[in-house]
Amino acid sequence: MSKILTGNELLSGATVYLDGHGNWVEDLQIARVFAKDESEALDAALAATKATGRVISLEIEDVEVRGGLVYPHRIRERIRAEGPTAPRFDRQHLDEDSHVSI
Amino acid sequence: MYRYDEFDAAFVNERVAQFSDQVRRRISGELTEDQFRPLRLMNGLYLQLHAYMLRVAVPYGTLNSRQMRMLAHIARKYDRGYGHFTTRQNIQYNWPKLRDVPAILADLASVEMHAIQTSGNCIRNVTTDQFAGAAADEIIDPRPVAEIIRQWSSLHPEFTFLPRKFKIAITGAPNDRAAVKFHDIGLMAQTNGSGEIGWAVYVGGGLGRTPMIAKLINGFVPHEHLLAYLESILRVYNRYGRRDNKYKARIKILVHEEGLENIKGQVEEEFAHIRGGVLTLPQEELDRINTYFAQPAYKDIGVVDIDIEREKIIDSAYGRFLENNTFPHARQGYTSVTISLKPIGGAPGDATADQMDVVADLAEKYSFDELRVSHEQNLVLPHVALTDLRAVYDALVEAELADANAGEITDMITCPGLDYCALANARSIPIAQDISQRFASPERQKEIGKLKIKISGCINACGHHHVGHIGILGVEKKGTELYQITVGGDGSEDAAVGKILGPGFVAEDVPDAIEKLVDAYIEKRESADETFIAAYRRLGDAPFKEALYGNG
Repeated sequence: MSKILTGNELLSGATVYLDGHGNWVEDLQIARVFAKDESEALDAALAATKATGRVISLEIEDVEVRGGLVYPHRIRERIRAEGPTAPRFDRQHLDEDSHVSI
Repeated sequence: MYRYDEFDAAFVNERVAQFSDQVRRRISGELTEDQFRPLRLMNGLYLQLHAYMLRVAVPYGTLNSRQMRMLAHIARKYDRGYGHFTTRQNIQYNWPKLRDVPAILADLASVEMHAIQTSGNCIRNVTTDQFAGAAADEIIDPRPVAEIIRQWSSLHPEFTFLPRKFKIAITGAPNDRAAVKFHDIGLMAQTNGSGEIGWAVYVGGGLGRTPMIAKLINGFVPHEHLLAYLESILRVYNRYGRRDNKYKARIKILVHEEGLENIKGQVEEEFAHIRGGVLTLPQEELDRINTYFAQPAYKDIGVVDIDIEREKIIDSAYGRFLENNTFPHARQGYTSVTISLKPIGGAPGDATADQMDVVADLAEKYSFDELRVSHEQNLVLPHVALTDLRAVYDALVEAELADANAGEITDMITCPGLDYCALANARSIPIAQDISQRFASPERQKEIGKLKIKISGCINACGHHHVGHIGILGVEKKGTELYQITVGGDGSEDAAVGKILGPGFVAEDVPDAIEKLVDAYIEKRESADETFIAAYRRLGDAPFKEALYGNG
């Protein structure tokens, strides 16, 4: 099962994903997708993120790539990526000083 | 209403200063998240799916116009222009940023409000009847006792780390509008043989994954000994409540596993030790607190004859408002007005900052500056002169707050569900929206009569689904949201837990399922006066089960 790393940024609380360059970003679609045999890289990214103290509620989520798009298995994660559905509200965004990298 | 004395004010201001420093240290990295998390939770700051959520206490659901305006100001300045009123009579903001929270708490403190003990394993905000201090059927105004409980339970050193959270509800009326039998402790005013008023104490009620109706542990505790009795219960719970398993840690499990008589014996033993001690309420202190809740300066209006049937012909929307959204007042010439936060297709319990301001203005102008939040997620103007009713209604129409559906099928309790909540398994709000749109017609709602639908997005039951006449519980199965339907729950003095009738439904099939239940009720009721819950009690499950699943 492929995985992504997700969490909430400390200052804004915004939902963020680890991308392929070590940046925590808003867009699920540029999240780094860890293949089944990349568990060591996943663990290292998790540890490096914890060391920053800036991303909280860290979770490893199951995803698949469907037609080039990252598709989380849980409904919860699909809603987290987009924001509330009813009524539709824009998701929380990162402030200028709330970008985190590892 | 109660005003902070110097101790209250100092305590709340100190907490703001402490939390401001804790936030500063968290942002600078001096505190880790593991260190900070319990501190933020003690101040009502949760992390939800999309952002932080700040839960602000509205003590026993009572507030004044200045406080409501501050809630509007906070929504506007620090959030997204709205707030969500909850079944705990509190308000939640869904989008605050960590750096702003100290300023929000300082703003709240300036109007004698805070977010303390809105989370954690402590005694939470005491809830009560939304018509407290106004209702015609009231034996006694429960707010002074609720205030005394608030003071006793705030930062109570012995009960800050209980096995689990602890909720107390209190009602001064025999008709229970506060669901007291579904709380850890429920208090109902009673009159004894000598005509004295005291409290029947129920213990071990609750919803969640193990719904339980509270059991009567003492039929009459006098005012002056109430705190000692509550402390005795809490002490027994604190000592024996299960800390090994979060799901078995509430007092309802202790009472269930140990048996009421056993627990009662322990409580009475404890009570015998502390009764008459420092927790005895001095009459002068009771009198002092009572003065804060003195009756407003009502005008002598006399008999005001409002012919609802005539109004319904002249202006059907106003007639419907009179019929559903007014509640009998203890004082002749006055009424309590329910302001529905359940617009058709809206998110139940949400109010915009502008609406909060309008409600504050109305409270100031027409309700002696008093407001209430109901556990059914509506607002209340408790003391409106009948002669002002039309003006109040017209202002509510202007603010899009005049939905005349109080107590009807579209007046649903709904938790935030998976649109916001980190614990939820399924969405609740869109289900409520679809149901309200299905039953939007006032004629259809009137035909159905009083019917309470309650919706939760997970087993924790924040939407009180167990006590809905029709309850809806969202679950997730194999990546799909499914909704289990229960029938026959009742949060009133005739407390009952609803029964699951069969397999769940996908979201788009829920309105049809509800319609089938409603149609079965209408077909089988003895008359339009027999409510859904009364018909269910007479008929049992069978016709409703058949309506949903056929007779196969």
